[in-house]
Amino acid sequence: MLHEFSYIEPGSLSELLEFLAKYGPESAVFSGGTDLLISIRAGLEKPVYVVDLKKVPELQELNFGSKSGLSIGAAVNVNRVVEHEAVQSHYRILEIAGRELATFQLRNRATVIGNIVTASPCGDMSSPLLCLDAEVELLSASGSRSMLLKEFITGVKKTQIKPEEIVSKITVPTTFMDAAGGYEKLKRIKGHDLGVVAVTMIKTKKTMRVAVSSAAPTPVLLPDFVLDTPVAEIQKVAQAAISPIDDVRCTKEYRRFMVDIYIRRLLEEVQHERGAA
Amino acid sequence: MLEDTPAAELKQVGQETLRIDSKIKVTGQAEYVSDMEMSGMLHARVKTSPFARAKIRSIDTSKAEALSGVRAVVIGTELDYKLGLYVVDKDILAKTEVRHYGEAVAAVAADTLEIAEKAVGLIEVDYEELTPVLHPLEAIKEDAPRVHPDLGNYSYMEAAFSPQPGTNIANITRLRKGDIEKGFEESEWIVEREYTNPSVQHVPMETHVAIVQWGHDNKITIWSSAQSPFTVRNLFCNAFKLPHGNVRVIVPYVGGGFGGKAGVGIEPLVAVLSKKAGGRPVKLTATREQEFSLLPCRSQLTYRIKTGVSTEGKILAQEMIMYWDSGAYADYAVNVTRASGYSAGGPYEIPNAKVDSYTIYTNKPYGTAYRGFGHVEFFWGLERHMDLISEIVGQDPLEFRKLNALKPGSITLTGEKITENHGSVSKCLDAVANSIGYGTLTEKEKAREKKTGMKIGKAVASLHKAPAMPSFTATTVVVKMNEDGTVIANLSLIDYGQGTYTSIAQIIAERLRCPAEKVKVAFETDTDRDPYDWQTVASKGLILSGNAAILAADDLLEKAYADAAQVLRANTRDLDHDGDKIFVKHHKESFVTFKQLAIGYAYPNGNAIGGQLIGVGRYIAQGLSNLDKETGQGLPALDWTYGAHGMIIEINEETGEYNVLKVTSSYDVGKVINPDAVRGQSIGGMVQGLGTATCEGYIYDERGRLLNPSFTDNKIPTARDIPLEIETIPIETPQLDGPYGARGVAEHSMIGVAAALGNAIQHATGARLMHMPLRYEDVWRALQNKEPVDNWITKSPYGSCRSTPEL
Repeated sequence: MLHEFSYIEPGSLSELLEFLAKYGPESAVFSGGTDLLISIRAGLEKPVYVVDLKKVPELQELNFGSKSGLSIGAAVNVNRVVEHEAVQSHYRILEIAGRELATFQLRNRATVIGNIVTASPCGDMSSPLLCLDAEVELLSASGSRSMLLKEFITGVKKTQIKPEEIVSKITVPTTFMDAAGGYEKLKRIKGHDLGVVAVTMIKTKKTMRVAVSSAAPTPVLLPDFVLDTPVAEIQKVAQAAISPIDDVRCTKEYRRFMVDIYIRRLLEEVQHERGAA
Repeated sequence: MLEDTPAAELKQVGQETLRIDSKIKVTGQAEYVSDMEMSGMLHARVKTSPFARAKIRSIDTSKAEALSGVRAVVIGTELDYKLGLYVVDKDILAKTEVRHYGEAVAAVAADTLEIAEKAVGLIEVDYEELTPVLHPLEAIKEDAPRVHPDLGNYSYMEAAFSPQPGTNIANITRLRKGDIEKGFEESEWIVEREYTNPSVQHVPMETHVAIVQWGHDNKITIWSSAQSPFTVRNLFCNAFKLPHGNVRVIVPYVGGGFGGKAGVGIEPLVAVLSKKAGGRPVKLTATREQEFSLLPCRSQLTYRIKTGVSTEGKILAQEMIMYWDSGAYADYAVNVTRASGYSAGGPYEIPNAKVDSYTIYTNKPYGTAYRGFGHVEFFWGLERHMDLISEIVGQDPLEFRKLNALKPGSITLTGEKITENHGSVSKCLDAVANSIGYGTLTEKEKAREKKTGMKIGKAVASLHKAPAMPSFTATTVVVKMNEDGTVIANLSLIDYGQGTYTSIAQIIAERLRCPAEKVKVAFETDTDRDPYDWQTVASKGLILSGNAAILAADDLLEKAYADAAQVLRANTRDLDHDGDKIFVKHHKESFVTFKQLAIGYAYPNGNAIGGQLIGVGRYIAQGLSNLDKETGQGLPALDWTYGAHGMIIEINEETGEYNVLKVTSSYDVGKVINPDAVRGQSIGGMVQGLGTATCEGYIYDERGRLLNPSFTDNKIPTARDIPLEIETIPIETPQLDGPYGARGVAEHSMIGVAAALGNAIQHATGARLMHMPLRYEDVWRALQNKEPVDNWITKSPYGSCRSTPEL
């Protein structure tokens, strides 16, 4: 059961931004709603206005250019990204991790940007996007600003977004295009579950990148590794960078252990992958 | 058996039969209480306790009452009714003390759900939080706080239970057989271990829901998602001191129960709201979160087993101590304790045995019936124990089981002599062992190990269970013929997913020799109109109601034959029937159709005889006796269904990650009535068993607050968690007093799954797991010989996982 709120459905970007300029602090931006509706039902959020992004055409855009890279609009659901040809051919890690996010049905609602803005330590899209140096564009009636995803997420459920702003799109540069990669996620059942702990790894001709989620207040991107870095070295850096906790899902001991296992598995996996850029 | 049709002549019984409720359910046309709306209906919400144990200093409802649209607010102190199935220990709403997290302390009925929710938020409760007693082994100590200081004043079912006033012990079931000391003295090996299970939730698709209208002159109508309409009526009338004729309970389609809806639930609370709201109907639907703590769960168990074994590998003595965590109320937990107590040794011959089974009150959500009625929990320990013993005595686990299995001539723990007709656990064990290729790896499996780097493990677990029910459990079936010669059957056993109604239709069709389509078994049970059934629990539905259906069909036929004898001017002994007509055996052209007789036969001149063809079949469990309170001797079991699971798993020895490759289940069902239903029960229960084995369990903090009260952190299996390969092998040793020889097989499918998994993991890796569930981390810890996690919360050693304070 939901509390009473006004549902706002702007038809244009300017209408949306003007509304948020006035009512931002009392509003919750709504796209897939897979987090928002649960929060409202649990009484954790009580927005006066629920502002739907889906009718704003620009926010539904999903584009790829060989120079500009991949651009994902705020209202683009995960299934569209996972099934996009350019994602499948150039940004496979987004496809791999995207398919691990919830279920097919939920991915028809859940958006990539929603997964980022929620800023959960276990978000399935965060660590691959961190590896790819993704950049978020924040938009408000008074203008736009951009920043690296790494800077955008500041803590558990905390980001740099202001009440009057939306994340209008996320841009993935061409830097790590065609990288080989993999995503390993610990779940409690074989069906859909959030990541109890997860590791992303990508590899290009020059470098390797690793990010870990559900092991610190934010997903953690490790410093770049040169190609033949020994596994023990990557594990050592990872262990120093994470700070997992004991909770109802797992002990920190097993989280740390599985991070090492996943790093070793992913390293084997990306090394075997032919056709890496 | 109540009939003697040779198997070869059976036309309906034993045939694959489509569930009679499948189409209406998959098309969404079946109406559940969740769907129901009534004119003038109010909506209810409940205020629950955030504390596990607290004094209620005061409750201020004035703001809630002042809210526009609020029609009734109730609190505990205004309600002078006590509820309880076996021990009458529960108030409708907590009065002066809350006894568990999530307990109801106040409730509101309002014009809309939103107003009711808002009103609940406006109710102010002044609590004084008290230190809760959370673990049963703490609660059993002398100085533990008493969950029910008034235990000595409660009424209870004295023939079966023994509450201990002045303690937290709601019941002790004792059993003594042979000379336990002597048995241990003669033993070559003595193996003593402790096994634990956390509490889990049933998770029916339809949460608990009821609509109640408290009408004029205290005439009350209850629509409920319930397993046992007559038990709802009986307990309700006992609590409110009303004549049974005043209360009408209607149960339409039910979206799952698994034991969680076996007794009385939210109906009394909804009733008092309706009464206070001037008799308007009130609907209360539990939220999914409330299912985990407002409504009951499955009890936690700590099970200690000490076994003495001879040089040859025969069990000589076994001492079993069960500590059942009842939670705040006794509900079904006392009977789980009793049923598990007399069944505790499993399907094995144990000449010298001792069982002490305790039900212990704690400040946690209370335990109730759950598919298996204790057997899933204790068979985890028992069947792990059998593998651990066989490892120590150096025998193959399958051979060790078969050596000790009950066989004709064996005497059970309660003194029952096993006969040729009891069914055979050894046959079930052989069937599953054969199906999984027990004892060897195929070339394909060896290649798979090489490819995946994982180890394959194969193991078995056996099981048994008898219905846990009063010795005088009864049911009635009524079969009525329609004008066109088709029939409708009425009964108050509820088919909430088991498929029993389809089997009942087959049985009636078999007796009437007509196609099953001509038999309607009516869904939607109404205690004003339908005949009595005790409860839909215990895997006793098919055996009791199936027999009643045979008797009802035969009663109808007897009337039909009497009428036909007049019409045909023949002796009833010379008559026979097919699906359409009754005819004279030696003059087949001389017949009368059922359609002609259905509502009375009319002669061409207008004279009439007979009347509606109607048959009544009543059946009651026979020969059962109460158990002696000191020795546990007596006959508690209507029938025993034996079974076994075989499992193949693959496991990563480094991380504890594993996959279930194959599960085969075999049950001695006596006679398969509907192969579809046997397979459905087998697979459904197996997957539910895997859930309990792999991921489920309540986790509390030190203040007794449930930390995982939703699907976010209380996972259940999904379609992807189903094993790659599943097989079901029914064994048919006819039950002499079962319908066509059949036994129940509803709960059994879940009972040995967890142990089979633990055994298969041990077979592959040597890991000795003794605490459920078996999450990857738990397996990893066992592999690493690390201490099991007390809990996954720092400084919260209570709840799920292992936690055993010293006594």
